[in-house]
Amino acid sequence: MATLGSLDLQVRPLFRAALTTLALCGLVALGSRGGRWIDPALLGYLMASIFAIFGVAYRYWEWVERPATWMYMRDSLRMLASRRALAVLPRLGLLALDQIFLQRFIEKRSLKRWGAHALIAWGCLLAFAVTFPLVFGWVRFTSEGLNQDRYQTWLFGLPGGTFPVHSFLGFLAFHVLDLAAVMVIAGCVLAFVRRRQDEGDTATQRFDLDIAPLLVLLAVSVTGILLTVSEKAFEGRNFQTIAYLHELSVIFMLLSLPFGKLFHIVQRPAQLGVTIYKAEGEREGRQPCKACGTPFIRANQRRDLEALFHRLGLDAARHSEGVHHLDLCPRCKRRLLAASQNRRLGGAFDPFAAVPLEVEPLLDGPSGSPQ
Amino acid sequence: MVSDEYGFFIDPQRCIGCKSCVGACGECGTHKGRPMIHLDELDRLESPQTTPTVCMHCEDPICAQVCPADAIKRSEDGVVHSSQKPRCIGCQNCELSCPFGVPIVFSGLEQMLKCDLCYDRTSEGLKPMCATVCPSQALLYAPKAQVELMRRAKPVREFLVGSLLVKTRTAVMLPDPETPLHLDAALLIEGGF
Repeated sequence: MATLGSLDLQVRPLFRAALTTLALCGLVALGSRGGRWIDPALLGYLMASIFAIFGVAYRYWEWVERPATWMYMRDSLRMLASRRALAVLPRLGLLALDQIFLQRFIEKRSLKRWGAHALIAWGCLLAFAVTFPLVFGWVRFTSEGLNQDRYQTWLFGLPGGTFPVHSFLGFLAFHVLDLAAVMVIAGCVLAFVRRRQDEGDTATQRFDLDIAPLLVLLAVSVTGILLTVSEKAFEGRNFQTIAYLHELSVIFMLLSLPFGKLFHIVQRPAQLGVTIYKAEGEREGRQPCKACGTPFIRANQRRDLEALFHRLGLDAARHSEGVHHLDLCPRCKRRLLAASQNRRLGGAFDPFAAVPLEVEPLLDGPSGSPQ
Repeated sequence: MVSDEYGFFIDPQRCIGCKSCVGACGECGTHKGRPMIHLDELDRLESPQTTPTVCMHCEDPICAQVCPADAIKRSEDGVVHSSQKPRCIGCQNCELSCPFGVPIVFSGLEQMLKCDLCYDRTSEGLKPMCATVCPSQALLYAPKAQVELMRRAKPVREFLVGSLLVKTRTAVMLPDPETPLHLDAALLIEGGF
């Protein structure tokens, strides 16, 4: 208990994460027909996956409970439960295509970044789509009866389709993970090259957040490809060793999911909710700045931000004459800083004011000062 | 890591509106062609005065508090960085809540970008781009001890936004540094330039 206390875990997210994990375990038991279809060779992956799901769920619920995050989550849920949902759903679909599937907002940040991200993202998602159902026992392949030349697919313990082993479909089934690995390796190499060329990223990147995830993904992909190389080109030499290394790297990747950069996979859909929230705000209209009169803040966001300020203990950000700091547009906030300095300087900005002048020396690069 | 011995000192009354800072800011490696500094006219009708605004790098940044994606981080050296690319969802909470009107959300990019003290330069001991080119030293990046000796006005790093106390890394130069600078909207509503 003392160790748990030192981890500073939150009770409600902990409870919700436990429920999420239990639900997943229930689905695994159900889909694998009481565990009968679970491949014993994949047990290590299964345990790591369950732990990863617990960690990701805990962090997700903790993140959602942050006052600012909950503000958007609550509004999105209300929207989906209201009559407006039907009107919004087609737009949500288009947004998902643009922002989640094509990730075009990354293309606008940088074409190289988009290329690297698309290869890594789709490589990873392809690999997850194949491996998680296999690990959870939801999908399994066996020979079709005594016929060694055809494979039988089982989905959730029920017979699915069959296909010839020596066919394009068979080749794809056996090598789809190789394709995913090639995509991830290419994406990681491109990402490393881009990071090396980008002065800004070189200065601001962090090893734990930006470099380590790429190294882990590279380790998983390279060891995965080496399994095929060992089987096809070296008659299975060192296959067991490579398999252990691959399992180790995958387990490490899964265990790091809740703590690292890859957590943004579950955060990103929030962008869809925010875009819809903004569109709904536009319908309500924008409120004018109380200093310059320019409409700038959406009515729904103005309301929610004031409530958020209250929850964060920032209620004191109120000016005289009943003006909340949120009622000033960003430009007027900037002008206010200068105007306040002007007042303290006794009206130095006023070109007609008689301000006593004293010459101050310019600081002209003395030795030791940066250039 | 940005040296703690150096400080960024803003003195709007020295600004001559040359926009050198705007041009230089876009050249910074972390900004990629987009100027993050703001240069505003105070009141075109009343005064030719302009004012430059860079990030004040708050000790407890409100932009980070209101960020739903937990994307805004302050490094150990007190620099508040642009939002983290994988996390930012472009909601504009930061842009609307910042006490000083600094962050800019680029809607196409779905990301907030802001002055990050030219981290690629200052972490290597160089000046931020804007301070390098500012001819009147309205934007000054210099050893803290040196500035105390050079200027009559002294650096103030405490601001009262309404009655909310905000402490910052960047300083504004004032003649009486003991009192926090009070930002009250009445000043703009009444006019005064």
